[in-house]
Amino acid sequence: MNDSRQSRAKAQISFTVNGEAKQVRVYPMERLLDVLRLELELTGAKEGCGEGECGSCSVLMDGALVNSCLVPALQAAGSSIITIEGMAKGDRLHVLQLAFLECGGAQCGICTPGMILAACHLLNRKPHPTIGDVREGLSGNLCRCTGYSQIVDAVLEAARRRLTA
Amino acid sequence: MRSNPSDYEMTAPGSLRATLSLLASEPGAWLPIAGGTDVMVQYAAGKLAARKLVSIWNLPELRQIEVLAHEIRIGAGCTYTDLRRHEVVGREFPLLAAAARWTGGIANQNRGTIGGNIVNASPAADSLPALLAYGAELILVSVRGERHLPYISFHTGYKKTLLAQDELIQAVSLARQFSEYVSYARKAGARNAQAISKVCIAALGRTKNGIVDDVRIALGSVAPVPLRLHETEQAILGKRIDSPTLDRVREAVTAEIRPIDDIRSTARYRSAVAGNLVIEFLNRLSSQHSEVGRAKAPDVLSRWNFLPTDDAVNAILPCCGSKAWARGVAARRPFVNEEALLAASNEVWQGVPPSAWMEAFASHPRIGETGTIPSTPAQSRLWSTQEQQPVADADAAVRAALADANREYEQRFNRIFIVCASGRSPVEILGILKRRLKNDGDTELGEAAEQQRQITEIRLRKWLQQ
Repeated sequence: MNDSRQSRAKAQISFTVNGEAKQVRVYPMERLLDVLRLELELTGAKEGCGEGECGSCSVLMDGALVNSCLVPALQAAGSSIITIEGMAKGDRLHVLQLAFLECGGAQCGICTPGMILAACHLLNRKPHPTIGDVREGLSGNLCRCTGYSQIVDAVLEAARRRLTA
Repeated sequence: MRSNPSDYEMTAPGSLRATLSLLASEPGAWLPIAGGTDVMVQYAAGKLAARKLVSIWNLPELRQIEVLAHEIRIGAGCTYTDLRRHEVVGREFPLLAAAARWTGGIANQNRGTIGGNIVNASPAADSLPALLAYGAELILVSVRGERHLPYISFHTGYKKTLLAQDELIQAVSLARQFSEYVSYARKAGARNAQAISKVCIAALGRTKNGIVDDVRIALGSVAPVPLRLHETEQAILGKRIDSPTLDRVREAVTAEIRPIDDIRSTARYRSAVAGNLVIEFLNRLSSQHSEVGRAKAPDVLSRWNFLPTDDAVNAILPCCGSKAWARGVAARRPFVNEEALLAASNEVWQGVPPSAWMEAFASHPRIGETGTIPSTPAQSRLWSTQEQQPVADADAAVRAALADANREYEQRFNRIFIVCASGRSPVEILGILKRRLKNDGDTELGEAAEQQRQITEIRLRKWLQQ
């Protein structure tokens, strides 16, 4: 049916990415992760497992941490997305990025963008996190390099600096 | 094999009414997708049979929690995060709040919905035993109207439900009648987050004069559907919780469940754990002590009691920076409770040489500042910042006076000034500092050590709460 062919066509989707208005023409079931990486060339979000287990594709959608591999493009229409590329302001790194660098919270780098966005989501809700809060906040993000301790330290350090800033 | 997005149609009607019309126009053709935490996983694996999807994510009609006089109605589109943050859910339905807390990780909790969890119909889902225990009712809706169904009748077999092709779950209704019950929930899994349960339990009970007068036990991952243990409940109702009852209960549990061997566990293990969980629940019930959300079974102290020595030392160093103190306290493990730990900490602190005291002092930032020596743990630095927040917020004159007095103190005693800042105003601290500048060396060392002892005590308590 003509009707059905039409709805399989690409759709125009508008949303905000890192503060900039964006329009893309994509299939509605295209994954937000692919739209970010392939259409917008924002390759910070990584594909690890592709099924919501590892967190390396984490981004903020309307302030909420989501796995972008599990978000169909159509559901991102009208939303505001923050990716790792939106964390630094020009040459000035975000306090979380600095803390990860200084505490050895990043090694191979695959999990790092997701870890930083998960940490950002946590600190936005809990500026005074305990170690337990940090572990829970990052529990959906897997890292194969660091053993996690340095990452937890980095988030606590960033929390401390935000309080003193 | 990954799916090709061009093979799929998707539409987002934006309202419940329009969605229901679409479902009715082509029964069975459109698959509803909410937060995608199940559907998108099948899609990624190339296993999504449906080719037409209708988005029900964030439909306002499905994303509200209505608190009525005798029931709470949870919209099917509410996420686990919505459940975790809802005050009445947390207070009156702790089994559901706990399940929401240990489903997936934060990102999946932000997208996964209670309605999706019910329709996905996994026997391992963490939130479904809670719904069984609370005797939930489902409100189903279609263009034909609304119908109410006891949740317990909804799952008819493995991944089979009574949902008609043109229907959606609109809401889950829970009666507000369990706030006086003892609640018990546990998840046995490889880890708390992300891992799917090997066995999970949600249970409620009430006793009168030592006799069980109501009990509701539900288990996940022990049968093709989430299972309410009616026969086991009959073995408990009207009884005292004593050892003959417990023996009968364990037999009843084994007889009633139908666990299987699979990738996550074995039937034998599941059967043993299911029995243990029910027995543990009855122990809690007999002592009238709810236990919910303690999926990390041992608390901080019991876990720490059995850590290797080096790990145990590192764990408490943020509380007091002296390695001699930390080693001394760790050597006295295990401790039965907080009081025993604090008593040992005080004794060890009094017994270590002044050089150990100096090491602890040196790990702190100056009062009014944040810089520490590099070896100070991040947790210790964070605590210092929190303890000193009022000083950081004090007006410039007070901070300048503190900085001057700090310098004078350091010239006089050759170490930084230590004061337990918690609960003290900046002006009070300045007064203490000026007074202590007049102390002789021995008196001042004693005062500083006592202040560190107080800081350590406060921090040990905080650490135990983590």
